[in-house]
Amino acid sequence: MGARSILILRGHPAPRAGQTAKRSRTKPGRSWAAAALLIAGVASGCASHSDHTKAARSALDAGNAQKALELYNKRLEVEDAKDLPKNVGGDNTVLILDRAMILQQLQNYKLSSRDLEVADKQIEVLDFSRKAIDDIGKYLFSDETGPYKAPFYEKLLINTQNMLNYLQQQDLNGARIEARRLAVMQSFISDHEGEGAALIGPGSYFAGFIFEKSGDPQEALRYYDEALQFSDFKSLAPVVRRLAAKGSYRTKRIQAILDAGGGGTAEDAAPSELLVVVNHGRVPAKVPKRIPIGLALTYASAFISPANAAQANQLAAQGLVTWINYPALEKEGRLAIPELIVDGTDQPIELGLSVDSEAVKAWDEARGALVASAITRMITRVLAGEVARKASGGGTLGALLSLGTQAALTANDVPDTRSWATLPARIGIARLPLPPGKHDVQVVLGPDRRRQTVEIPPGGYAVVCVTDLR
Amino acid sequence: MSNHRAIHSVALALASLMLTGAAVTACGGGARAVRGSDVKGLDDAAMSTGLDKRDLEQMLHENMESLQNSALVKRWEGENRPAVAVLSMRNDTSEHIDSVLQALITDVETQLVNAGHVRVISRDSQPEMIAEVNKQQSDAFDASTVARLGQQVGARYFVTGRVYNADERQSGERRVQYFLFMRVLDVQTGDILWQNKADVTKAIVK
Repeated sequence: MGARSILILRGHPAPRAGQTAKRSRTKPGRSWAAAALLIAGVASGCASHSDHTKAARSALDAGNAQKALELYNKRLEVEDAKDLPKNVGGDNTVLILDRAMILQQLQNYKLSSRDLEVADKQIEVLDFSRKAIDDIGKYLFSDETGPYKAPFYEKLLINTQNMLNYLQQQDLNGARIEARRLAVMQSFISDHEGEGAALIGPGSYFAGFIFEKSGDPQEALRYYDEALQFSDFKSLAPVVRRLAAKGSYRTKRIQAILDAGGGGTAEDAAPSELLVVVNHGRVPAKVPKRIPIGLALTYASAFISPANAAQANQLAAQGLVTWINYPALEKEGRLAIPELIVDGTDQPIELGLSVDSEAVKAWDEARGALVASAITRMITRVLAGEVARKASGGGTLGALLSLGTQAALTANDVPDTRSWATLPARIGIARLPLPPGKHDVQVVLGPDRRRQTVEIPPGGYAVVCVTDLR
Repeated sequence: MSNHRAIHSVALALASLMLTGAAVTACGGGARAVRGSDVKGLDDAAMSTGLDKRDLEQMLHENMESLQNSALVKRWEGENRPAVAVLSMRNDTSEHIDSVLQALITDVETQLVNAGHVRVISRDSQPEMIAEVNKQQSDAFDASTVARLGQQVGARYFVTGRVYNADERQSGERRVQYFLFMRVLDVQTGDILWQNKADVTKAIVK
C-alpha cells in the first residue's frame, strides 16, 4: 500500500534545479493519470490491527485455540509457536502478547512465559522510544502512527500472568522474578498515575503466595496487604493470621484481620494447599467505528482547540465532513460464571479482577483525546484536498485530485486498534487447604468442563490455572 | 500559467509528503544475523537491562581480583591446594538471568582452576549433593549445615554468592544496578573468610 502511494507520486516529482522549464510543461494527460492512480491507490487502504487479528479472535470465540495460535503464528511469519519473529518489536509485540495467552490456554506454560518475557521487555522499549513526532503523526497521518503504548493495566498483567505460568511449572525462582518486576512497574505507575492505578489484586495475591511458599513471610504479608487493599479476599484471612506470627509487617488491614480472630493461627503448620486461578472471557477488542461529527465534537470537547472545533463545525456545515473514524471497544459477549468442584464438592471462587472493566475505564479516559486527534486528521485531509483542487484550477481534474488526496489520506488513516486483545475478561481465584495426596479438580465454564488430578505434597501446594478465552 | 503549475506541484508535493508520512508508518525494517568477530564493537552495545557477557566479565574480574589479593589466597598457598566447591549464585534480581548465572559459576571455577591455588570439585561429579547444598543456601548460612554438607561434598571451602539489583523506572529511563556479591566460607567453622561486592549499571534511556 505504502509503496503504491509513493509510486503514484513519482509521476510528479518536485522540479529540480535546471529542470523547471521542462517540468512545467506537464501534460494534461499525466495529471489525469496521476489523479486516477491516486484514487486507485487508495483502494488498497490499510487494514487496522483488529482487522488483522479478527479471524484469530473468531477462532477463540469458537473455542478453537489451536486455530487461533496458527493464525497468530502466520501473522508473526513463524511456522511454530516455538519460534519468535525476526522482529519482536513494533506491532509484533502486541501479537506476541496475544499469542502468550493462547499458549497459556493450551497449557504450554513454558512458551507462554517466554512470549510474555519478550513482550515485557519490548513494551518497555516501546514506551521509551515514543517521540514527539509520533504524537504529531497521530494528528496528521494515522492513529496507528508510532510505537504501541500499553495502558497501565496491561503492563501490570504481563507480570501477573507470567507469575501464574511459573507457578504452574512449580518454578518459584522464576515466579519471584516476575513478582519483583511487578513491584517495579507498580512503583512506576503509582508515581505517574496515582497509587490506585498501580493496585492489581491478583498480581499482589500471587506475589504474596510466591513469597509465602518461598519461606519469606514478611514479603508475603506485604503483598497480601496490597491485595487486601484492592479487594477483601476472604481466602487471605486465615493465611494472614498464620503468617503474622512469623512476620512483623503490620497495617490496619492486617491488624483488623488479626483482631477479628478466626481460623488459621500461628500454631498452625503451613497446610497443603490448592490454588486455582480461572482466567475466562476476553477483554473487548478495539475496533474501528464511525460516529457523526457532532457526537465526535462532543466527545472531544475538552481536548480540541476552539479554532479546530470551529473549523470542524464549518466543514460539517459545508457538508464536507459528516463522519469520524476512531477506535471503539467491541461489544462484550456474555460471560459464563465459573464453578469449581474439588473432590466432588463445590468450592467458592473469588473475583480477583474484572479486567474488562479496567479496559473500559482506560478507554473511557482516553476517548476524548482519541476523537480529538481523529477530528484534527480529518481537517488536515479536507484542507489538503482543497489545496489540490485549487492548485489544479478546479474543474473535473481538480475535483478528482481533491477526492484522490482526501481518499488516499483517509485510507492511510487507520484508527489505533492495537491492544492486548487476548487478556481474560475476568480472573477468579480459589484457595483451599487440602490433605496431602491426590485430588480431583474440575472447573466448569458454561458447557465446558476441565478436569484434572493434582497431587499435593505434605505442607506443599499445587496450582491449577484454567484459561478459557471465549 | 506557470504559477498555476507551480501551485499544482506544491499541492502534489504536499500530498506526497503526507502520503509518504503515512506510508512510513506502515513500513518496517529487515533483520540479519551477524557474527561478533565480524562486527566491530558488537559486544559493546547493551541490548537490554539484563546481564550480558561483558557485564559478567567486569563484575567477576573485580571480585576475583579482590580474592587474589586477599589473605585467603595466602592461606590456600600454605594448605597444598585445598578442595573448593563453587555453589550456585542465587538470583535475587528482577531479571531472568539464571542461565547467565550458570555461566558465571563456570567462569569462577575456571579462574580458580587456572590460578592453581585450589582443587575445584567438579559440579558434574556430584550434582545431587550440590543441588542439596543449594537448597540449603540462604543469607544466614548455618555453620553446622555448612560443615555437614561440606564433608559430604568433600570440600574444605565453599564459594557462594548472589546477584541482586536495585531496579528503578522513571519516565525517560529504566535503570538496573546489579550487585554481584561473592564470599568464601570455611566448611569446618562456617566462618566467612572473604567477601566482596562488585556492581554494574544497565539502563534504557531515551
